[in-house]
Amino acid sequence: MNILFIEDDLIETMKFKRTIGKLQTQHKITEAKNGEEALQVLGSDDQLPDIILLDLNMPRMSGIEFLKILKADERFKYLPTIMLTTSENRADLLECYRIGIAGYILKPLKYEDYEEKLTKVIQYWEVSELVKA
Amino acid sequence: MEQKFNSTLFKMDSKEVILLKKALERQKLARIQAEKILESKSKELYDTARHLKSANSKLEGLLNKEHSSLGDSFMDIVDPYVIMDMDYNVITMNNSAIDFLGYDHRKERLNVGKLVHKDYIPYTLQAFQSLKDVGTLKNYRAKIVVKGNRHKYIQINCSLIYDTEGKPIGSHGIMRDISQETEIKHLLSEQKKQLHVIFDNSPLGIALAVDGKITKANPSFVNLLGYTENELRKFSIEDVSTCYAKEECDELMRQLDQGEDTVSVTKEYIKKNGDTFLAKTNISAVRDENGQIESQVIVIEDITKEKELEHQKEELLSELESSNKNLQEYAHIVSHDLKSPLRSISALASWIIEDYHDKLDEAGQQQLSLMQEKVAAMDKLIQGILEYSTANSSQLKSSEVDLNEIVETIKETIFIPDHVSVKVPEVLPCIQADRTKMQQLFQNIIGNAVAHIEREVGLVEVLFKDKKEHHHFIIKDNGVGIPEEYHKKIFQIFQSIGNKERSTGIGLSIVKKIVDRYEGEVWVESEMGLGTEFHFTLKKSVLTGQAKTQI
Repeated sequence: MNILFIEDDLIETMKFKRTIGKLQTQHKITEAKNGEEALQVLGSDDQLPDIILLDLNMPRMSGIEFLKILKADERFKYLPTIMLTTSENRADLLECYRIGIAGYILKPLKYEDYEEKLTKVIQYWEVSELVKA
Repeated sequence: MEQKFNSTLFKMDSKEVILLKKALERQKLARIQAEKILESKSKELYDTARHLKSANSKLEGLLNKEHSSLGDSFMDIVDPYVIMDMDYNVITMNNSAIDFLGYDHRKERLNVGKLVHKDYIPYTLQAFQSLKDVGTLKNYRAKIVVKGNRHKYIQINCSLIYDTEGKPIGSHGIMRDISQETEIKHLLSEQKKQLHVIFDNSPLGIALAVDGKITKANPSFVNLLGYTENELRKFSIEDVSTCYAKEECDELMRQLDQGEDTVSVTKEYIKKNGDTFLAKTNISAVRDENGQIESQVIVIEDITKEKELEHQKEELLSELESSNKNLQEYAHIVSHDLKSPLRSISALASWIIEDYHDKLDEAGQQQLSLMQEKVAAMDKLIQGILEYSTANSSQLKSSEVDLNEIVETIKETIFIPDHVSVKVPEVLPCIQADRTKMQQLFQNIIGNAVAHIEREVGLVEVLFKDKKEHHHFIIKDNGVGIPEEYHKKIFQIFQSIGNKERSTGIGLSIVKKIVDRYEGEVWVESEMGLGTEFHFTLKKSVLTGQAKTQI
């Protein structure tokens, strides 16, 4: 799968890559440090990602702001977008689902738990039919 | 004379004598006749006189008879009727009077004067006197006490009875029971009095209007508007007020015209000095038999202050709402920013164990797992603080909380210097409460206690007393003590009296807020150098009440 991973925190990115690295199947990960960078990536690349993993709390452009832009775009709006966050904020959760997301994952404290959760997410999208531009 | 007559007789011839003798004879006879007539006439006169006398007495009897027959006809009337002698002893009375008074004159002596209620005695004496003087008494009204000590109001019309010589020999009168009438009158006058008291002293402004014009206004109404009652009489209610909500007001006035008895509107009134105020206005229609409005009663209540307060309340509420919202957002951001690094630390620690497994000895691995535990405890605390800061808008959760377990958890979570021990001498209860709040509550106080012990052997004890309405907890230490001037201050936010770096000044203010939510109290007893006792109570009914709402 082609995964666009949008995260400003270095260690979070390490966590994700470490998790993906342990999986049987190979995945291509494109990293973006913030929303603006992600939009650049999306705009420049001919091939769109299969799924987007997006951190909710980012500097400059928040995850929700990015999500809104994404969902307003004729091409990007079909991309399944999964939110990653540490914040158990119900208002955020409702807003995200309202705009349109494919998942809302709370980052657990322990890395082992994180690995388990993220593995399941990836495995789910592996068996799911993708948009494929 | 006879001699002379005889001598003349002698001179007269015998014929003459005979004539004379015959005449004399006739005269004698006539005299006897006259005497006889006189005698019979005087007898006749005497008889007539006697006859007259008897006739007279017959007449008197007739008169008396007429009186008594007059009495008989009175005896049959519906109203109580009484005949009395001059001392007001009852000679006779009708059945109606017997029933009414409850006494029977045939069985016992009855004096009407004695029935009169003591309050009416002077008036009655006056009335009796006037009866004697004038012969009649009209509209005598008094209270009497009839058999069975029952009080009755009566009205009497009576007159004297005279004998043949015009001497008064008694009186007779008709009574009327006016108790009900009098009571109603009393009641009416009482009510009138009460109404006046209400009218004059009501804090509400009350005015009467006839044909729209104000005819009467009470002191409150006068005070509210600043006009005198006389000045107000020139106005109609519409002259001194405008409708607050015009359409609604017009509609209500229409309803009043169409037969509604009372309408309630909010109106703005204009005072004499030009100031205005809002008043709740009740207008009630007083109607005649045909349903036409005779007058209106207008009751006004100044609600300017209430409106202001209402407005202030709304403003405060919306401010509070937005500040609550801000606080919540702020808390979420802060908690995210605190939690993210914790996740990184946790991940890095587990990677060290995973990646450098063979290079770490057992002690190293243990230290890393201890680090993981502390990270976990901190994560929990951050979560707790987040929940607390949003507590005003969120319900307290409720579950069975074992406080012994809570204290044990705290002992693992907080930093306890080696020389200090935390002990629970007697088993603490299990209570229905919010687990996070209980953890925060005990942790903050115990944490505060262990941090301020400077002596060689420090001891912190958690004690419990079961009070009637409260759970009472005491956290007792043998630390440095808290000066009395700080006993209140320490519960205010950011008021830290220690110079320790880890003291944030938040902990005890959280304690206070939690205790407040459980309608308890928190206070400090301390002696410098000897130690401190933190006391706090939690109200049982609130704890169980919370538990009920959870179900």
